[in-house]
Amino acid sequence: MTTAEIQATSPLFRMEGVSKRYGGVRALENAHLDVEAGHIHAILGENGAGKSTLIKIMAGVVAPDEGRMLLDGQEAVFRSPAAASAAGIACVFQELSLIPDLSVADNIAISNPPCRFGLIDRRAQRAIAEEALARAGAEDIHPRAAVKDLPLSRRQMVEIAKALASRPRILILDEATSALTAGDVAKVFAVLKGLRSEGLALLYISHRMHEIAELADTCTVFRNGRNVASFCAGTRTNGEVVEMMIGREYSNVFPPRQQHSAEPGKAPVLECRNLGWSDRLRDISFSVGEGEVVGLGGLEGQGQRLLLLALFGVLRGTSGSVLIDGQPAAIRSPAEARRPPRSMALIPEDRKTEGLMLPMTVRENLSFAALDRIARGGVIDRGKEEQLIDDMVRLLEIKTAGLDVPVGALSGGNQQKVVIAKWLMREPRIILLNDPTRGIDVGTKQELYRLLRRLAEAGAAIVFYSTDYDELIGCCDRVLVLYDGRVVRELEGDGITERALIASALNVEAAQEGTVA
Amino acid sequence: MSETSESRLSIKARLPVFLRRADPAVLTAFGCIFLLLLLGSLYSSNFLSPDYLLQQLKVASFLGVVAAGMMVVILLGHIDLSVPWVMTMGAMMACAAAGFGEIGAAVAIPVGVLSGMAFGLLNGLGVAYLRIPSMIVTLASNVVAQGLMVVYTGGFSPQDSAPNAIRWLATGALLPGVPNAILVWSGVSAAMVFLFTRTAFGRAVYGIGNSERAAFLSGVGTRRVVMIAFVVSGGLSAFGGVLLAGYASKAAQAMGDPYLLPSIAAVVLGGTSILGGRGSYFGTVAGVILITLLQSILSVMQMPEAGRQIVYGVVIIVMLLLYGRAPPSR
Repeated sequence: MTTAEIQATSPLFRMEGVSKRYGGVRALENAHLDVEAGHIHAILGENGAGKSTLIKIMAGVVAPDEGRMLLDGQEAVFRSPAAASAAGIACVFQELSLIPDLSVADNIAISNPPCRFGLIDRRAQRAIAEEALARAGAEDIHPRAAVKDLPLSRRQMVEIAKALASRPRILILDEATSALTAGDVAKVFAVLKGLRSEGLALLYISHRMHEIAELADTCTVFRNGRNVASFCAGTRTNGEVVEMMIGREYSNVFPPRQQHSAEPGKAPVLECRNLGWSDRLRDISFSVGEGEVVGLGGLEGQGQRLLLLALFGVLRGTSGSVLIDGQPAAIRSPAEARRPPRSMALIPEDRKTEGLMLPMTVRENLSFAALDRIARGGVIDRGKEEQLIDDMVRLLEIKTAGLDVPVGALSGGNQQKVVIAKWLMREPRIILLNDPTRGIDVGTKQELYRLLRRLAEAGAAIVFYSTDYDELIGCCDRVLVLYDGRVVRELEGDGITERALIASALNVEAAQEGTVA
Repeated sequence: MSETSESRLSIKARLPVFLRRADPAVLTAFGCIFLLLLLGSLYSSNFLSPDYLLQQLKVASFLGVVAAGMMVVILLGHIDLSVPWVMTMGAMMACAAAGFGEIGAAVAIPVGVLSGMAFGLLNGLGVAYLRIPSMIVTLASNVVAQGLMVVYTGGFSPQDSAPNAIRWLATGALLPGVPNAILVWSGVSAAMVFLFTRTAFGRAVYGIGNSERAAFLSGVGTRRVVMIAFVVSGGLSAFGGVLLAGYASKAAQAMGDPYLLPSIAAVVLGGTSILGGRGSYFGTVAGVILITLLQSILSVMQMPEAGRQIVYGVVIIVMLLLYGRAPPSR
């Protein structure tokens, strides 16, 4: 089908100039999207490209700041998810939205159960559930089974059935196949193709290029909150699609990399052998030497955060071993991880809930992780506390109205500096950073890059997870790319390019010029 | 957001320093105390006499000791409902120890307090390590303590009377005119202020109350802190019971029952968030005095017990509406 033909038919759903901001961050900017009945429309884009915001707006979870949406050519405003659902838009999310203790039938009919005299009509509910399951190609699931007894892949099928039970006209699937086995994926694809021929519009979001190749009729690529290209599936090569996802708009100033040469015979500061946790982390082995910055790359949610938590002793029941200075170290809690000679530090993912106590003062937050070093016999040595805090405020140039203001009153960048400073007060040797530049301004970012370099030069071993590929390229000596809980590729030095990062993050070979579809 | 905080600052800047730094909730509580005294003095001029005020402070000191322990637990975002029977147990165990002659009398106070700490330890283990909600654990251990005491006494008031040391501590006057109970409360208060402001433990309590996750990820032994907090609460409850036994010169069944709600109310009235993490000890002191005065004035005005309970409950709900809800986080 040509572009002209697409425009000739009036689309079922259209988004015009939709924008959404969160604070200062533009999640979506002037986005346009046409969704056709009887089509499978794939949405592509790297982390933070605006895909999830797009879905949330369509599903009525968040309201757009600007722009409008048209359904059947009529302007549509969704004030709540229920309104979007009533208009015929249903979502299947990556995180399961089922209630484990209820039965399959209860879950499928949860938003709109059939009632008689104000009570749930169980027979009618079961009929609805059976029909929805049959439509989803999952007749084998008993409607009265409890959801918690079903394996993950079956639950995902129930999730799809639940979305179908509301008889949607537009079905949005967000990474809906990530939990499925290969057999189920094939089944789901058959179902989706069936739905397409019934005239439903399907919006399909996936990071798996081969799935998109098999399913999609139309593709739209998002980058930095804008839709950069729409094209018919099969008209672009994998390489071209990757180029579209990368783009090039800004560049950050990164400090020069020191030529890193490990001393021969010296054990790496941190080494991980066959680390695993449940089925979310598998067989991860790597080492970090003194003065080295090792990046963790890949798409979001491929195990990078869990890996950092596992190293820091937060996760229970990990397999494999962690060695520090060549000695096996069994770290069972953050308290053990931070204790010398391990001296680990973790800059956590969410500074507002994990890094800081927002209502507490800057002073209390700064010294919180180092109280055991400041206190003598449990009593805080105020002079020493003051001294260390002053040093840190000066070193990191933390801008605050005073040490006794709540840390929540500081700007995002300065809050993040407080999180980092509170760990630097312990003089850590191993620093784990979980996406530390998320939501902070460019100036502070550059300060952080320089700080990281300085710490590495002073001999720290740094593991740095970032969702921003530019940072990985600019800051890291090596990058491990994770996919599905495994390290799929290790990039080093000049081999760390955006192209290589994205290709390995999607687990496709960029060199391979296969076409999409 | 920055604009509103600036305008708030400019109003604050005009206030004297001690008012600027004080928590508005603490100021409100002290304001209420003055208001109550003013209302009382309209009713009878006796309300402003030093004798009456000292008598009120003495009565308040029993509640004050119990509320100090309760505050540690509430700052963590937990609650200790085992106060009534841990108090009674502390009192009974202290009096029982006094029945064993000279040595028994000498160790009576430690025995009472230690029995309370033991119960606090059980509460703490349940909350911190078994992860049972504190409301359930402490409610259950309250019943267990009650059962133990009923078994011990056969359901009657025990015959042992409080030893002289305890009576002196509760009713004597080391300084002429100042009841010892007030000195004991002052001592406990000084220790609590030191604990909250100067020790790593105090910082950890506030930290956990604000965000247990952040405290844990900072490498604080959160479970140990929670456990110790319950031990402190149990010990202070029992100590409050011991003092009360000295005041009444003997332990009695259910003597701690009228202290549960007031101890929680005093902490909350003083501006400590029931969700944990925020609150100053001076607020709790104000809350204790406020509640004691309220009680006294209501009884002077011949308000029946049922009416007093209703007034407490309403006052707590109103204060919760004012302070207890978490401010918007962003």
